[in-house]
Amino acid sequence: MFFHNSCRSFALSLLGGVAIVTLGGNALAAEPVLQTEQSDVVTLKPYTPHTILVMDSAGTHAKDGRVYVVDADRGALLGMVQAAYNPNVAMVPDASRFYVGETTWAHGNRGARYDLLAEYDARTLKLTSDEELPARALITPKRNSLTLNVGASYAYVYQMSPNNGVEVVDTHAHKVIQSVDLPGCALTYPWGTNGFSSLCADGTLANVSLGEDGKASMTHSAVFFAPDKDAVFENSPSVTKTGEAYFLSYTGNIYPAHLGANSTVEAPWSLQVGAGMKPASDASAPFETTWRPGGIQLIALHQSDHELYVLMHRGTFWTHKEDGTEVWVYDAQTHKSCAVFHSKRPVTWWG
Amino acid sequence: MRVPLFDRVTETFTRHLASHSPRRQFLGWFSTFVAGSGAFPLLPVQRAQAESRASVPVPPNTASDFDRLAQSVDPTKCNYWRHCAIDGVLCGCCGGGVHTCPPGTQPSPVSWIGTCRNPSDGRQYVIAYRDCCGRTTCASTPDCHCNTADREMPIYRPQTSNDIIWCFGTTSTTYHCSTAAIVGQA
Repeated sequence: MFFHNSCRSFALSLLGGVAIVTLGGNALAAEPVLQTEQSDVVTLKPYTPHTILVMDSAGTHAKDGRVYVVDADRGALLGMVQAAYNPNVAMVPDASRFYVGETTWAHGNRGARYDLLAEYDARTLKLTSDEELPARALITPKRNSLTLNVGASYAYVYQMSPNNGVEVVDTHAHKVIQSVDLPGCALTYPWGTNGFSSLCADGTLANVSLGEDGKASMTHSAVFFAPDKDAVFENSPSVTKTGEAYFLSYTGNIYPAHLGANSTVEAPWSLQVGAGMKPASDASAPFETTWRPGGIQLIALHQSDHELYVLMHRGTFWTHKEDGTEVWVYDAQTHKSCAVFHSKRPVTWWG
Repeated sequence: MRVPLFDRVTETFTRHLASHSPRRQFLGWFSTFVAGSGAFPLLPVQRAQAESRASVPVPPNTASDFDRLAQSVDPTKCNYWRHCAIDGVLCGCCGGGVHTCPPGTQPSPVSWIGTCRNPSDGRQYVIAYRDCCGRTTCASTPDCHCNTADREMPIYRPQTSNDIIWCFGTTSTTYHCSTAAIVGQA
């Protein structure tokens, strides 16, 4: 009896299923047959001002770093390229291509080391050049480790091998055309078509002019900051086309500068004073708790509006890597605070 | 050989005198104290020191934010006192120790330098933050990834910058983790 009932139930279920399939099949038959497809590849639309490159150094698995192309309006990922081991990225002004400085080893973590400058077409993300460099600096990624001149005909790659220097790469010929020694100085803040400045341990700027004869000449600015009392941040913003620069110090002083073969630096102004507070103390009185700048990429310049955006937090003097809880906005011409943004959680990058 | 009576009497008298003289009494009492001190351990004092290591209150406006929270008990934490200017993963969380590299890695012969205050004795010490190299970055728990900055400087002052991978002169320049060795009193 049990067997008989089970069989009948199974038969009824089967009939019902066939009926459903039959009905469904009739309904779907009205739809056109899907066409066969060919695999293809996207070519990105021309970049807008809100198409951004986001570099992920993938800190705990550094050889898997990458650069994402992101539509910032939609928060949509458009594509990516690889960028291994403390990489850097620099986009050319017309957004037609970008460069990635990266380092790999022949056998993962060992074997021959390769310091590379990769060039990508910005719309196809195809590798268009894979230049081997003599060296590049393995440091916490900093925007000014890899920069471009006006016109992007030169790329400047900062290196420590371990002496400080800059590799000048001809981006059309895809080769290193000069290696400039930078004793006591670091990074590049490019200006014009053939020069850059670097921050130096003695509180000056080194200004390097690249001659057409393949030789570099160097001048130094006057001392404008005291590194032991109030160092300036490496991630300070500058504009290649005009040489306009704003060097931000640990206490929150802004040193406006005009970069060139003979750079000049103006008297500093204080973020705190611009916000109606007294200036923050420097390293000679390090224990005062007040609002101070901090983070990694902690300052950004809005060029056309002449506005500076600075990550701020409350702390003692040696908290210059502390994440920011607020973003203070300044008119770079009047030196006055014009807005404050509160962050829901502390942030270390702003740009 | 038989000892004469006079000699035996003299010896007995001399020994009695010596053992009851102040110098011998002092030495005897002192020896008893030294030998017995092991039976009366200094544990209460040691425990008090251990507790004080954990949290010596620092008056406001006399210390950095790091110093106010620094401890000297657990070297696998970012607020361990020697880590006042470290940027990286603590080797003690990766199979090594506060001045010891994990197996298979290699300590960098050069380093950046910090100056940190030990809350246990109040002294400042020079710390060499040597990287351990030859493996990719240690993927320990997030609380072992530290970034502190007492007296830390940008890379144009490389000797006190913790943003540089210090794997110079090692077989491989890949960064694995960071140690914090005492190299002297500041």
